[in-house]
Amino acid sequence: MSVLPAFDLDRPVSLSEALSLISEEAVPYNGGTELLLAMRAGFLRPDRLVDLKRIPELKRIEVADDQVIIGGGATHDEASGHDGIRATLPVLAETLSKLGNPRVRAAGTLGGNLCFAEPKSDVATVLMALDASVRLLGGSPDGTTTRDVPVAEFIVGPYTTTRTSAEILSQIRIPVDTQSRMTYMKYQTMERPTVGVAVSKSPNRTVAVIGAIGPIPEVFQAATLDDLDPETIAAALDVIEDLTGADDYKRHIAALLIARAIEKVAAG
Amino acid sequence: MTSPISIKVTINGRATSHHVPPRMILAEFLRDQLGLTGTKISCEIQVCGACTVLVDGKPISSCTYLAADIDGREVMTIEGVAEGDSLHPIQQAFVDHNALQCGFCTPGFVMATLALLAENQNPTEDDVAHYLEGNICRCTGYRPIIKAVIDAADRMGTS
Repeated sequence: MSVLPAFDLDRPVSLSEALSLISEEAVPYNGGTELLLAMRAGFLRPDRLVDLKRIPELKRIEVADDQVIIGGGATHDEASGHDGIRATLPVLAETLSKLGNPRVRAAGTLGGNLCFAEPKSDVATVLMALDASVRLLGGSPDGTTTRDVPVAEFIVGPYTTTRTSAEILSQIRIPVDTQSRMTYMKYQTMERPTVGVAVSKSPNRTVAVIGAIGPIPEVFQAATLDDLDPETIAAALDVIEDLTGADDYKRHIAALLIARAIEKVAAG
Repeated sequence: MTSPISIKVTINGRATSHHVPPRMILAEFLRDQLGLTGTKISCEIQVCGACTVLVDGKPISSCTYLAADIDGREVMTIEGVAEGDSLHPIQQAFVDHNALQCGFCTPGFVMATLALLAENQNPTEDDVAHYLEGNICRCTGYRPIIKAVIDAADRMGTS
């Protein structure tokens, strides 16, 4: 079996301790479902891993009437199995219960998924449709800095986010609008989706978010559902051709899914 | 040289402690340090499921999991499934339904099935197919495996 490059492992038990340890050479580590693969493939070679799994705050899930907060260290299973999330954000719970495979869902975390910014992530697409933000904590000599960034601005390219090497993604913050309706549909024949489509409609925001097909999920906002035209959106997408399909095929599948998702949300 | 991590862990019901290098993968620890070679290594990218073991009852890919991360936890491998010489109902159902040929993927399928049936005692064929999507069998095909899992659920429900 192939061997990982050597590294040291830190196991902090508090956020402040973790923030004092991380740097460009000492990277946050959680489920390892992406990081360990990247290290084995030789893409990343950090000197230290800073394990965040022993920090209770990062696991916390809070569900209020107007907002859901999911700790960055919550696993996909922990979030999708949470009664409050199932009741408040059923589409997110359903998506998390179907991503990857049971082993990835048991070990992988939402924060890790977002920070890795894998182009075929279901999570980012759904969170963008939900207008979610991430909270980034940074350590500085004067104390801790906090900034909230919409997921749509956090992910800037394949495997690239605006997180600095001194920051930890501590929370995913999702506004709750009881009047909103939403769906997520994906087409998948292999381990990762060919295309994923999230459509969400609330009194003041109607969006389609198309993921997995290109470098990052793309958000299309419109005044009403009728203004979201599947063919126009599919034609405008930035498509990466790969083993899941050629350019024209992927646009065709995207247009079909967008139309179905719009129909489903319109039907209520 | 990196500093070893000391771990205390229960493996197949037996408490034990070890020092492991941070970079040691769980599958390597189980196979090379403990001689538990029932856990198989195949894809090494968390796709095929051959290396599935349970950590605190949850299925994980031991090829992509640090040995250091089992500190304080309970690990179950295929060696811990049978009771002495009596096969577990899941193992017996795999035998009875010819749900294996070369058998290389079978430990992973059995561990995944244990996790599935702990969550869902009466799965439908669709539930089984969905849950086992991440386990790849390259010779038997999936029909006998799905039948074996459904049958194992029945046997465990009535035993």
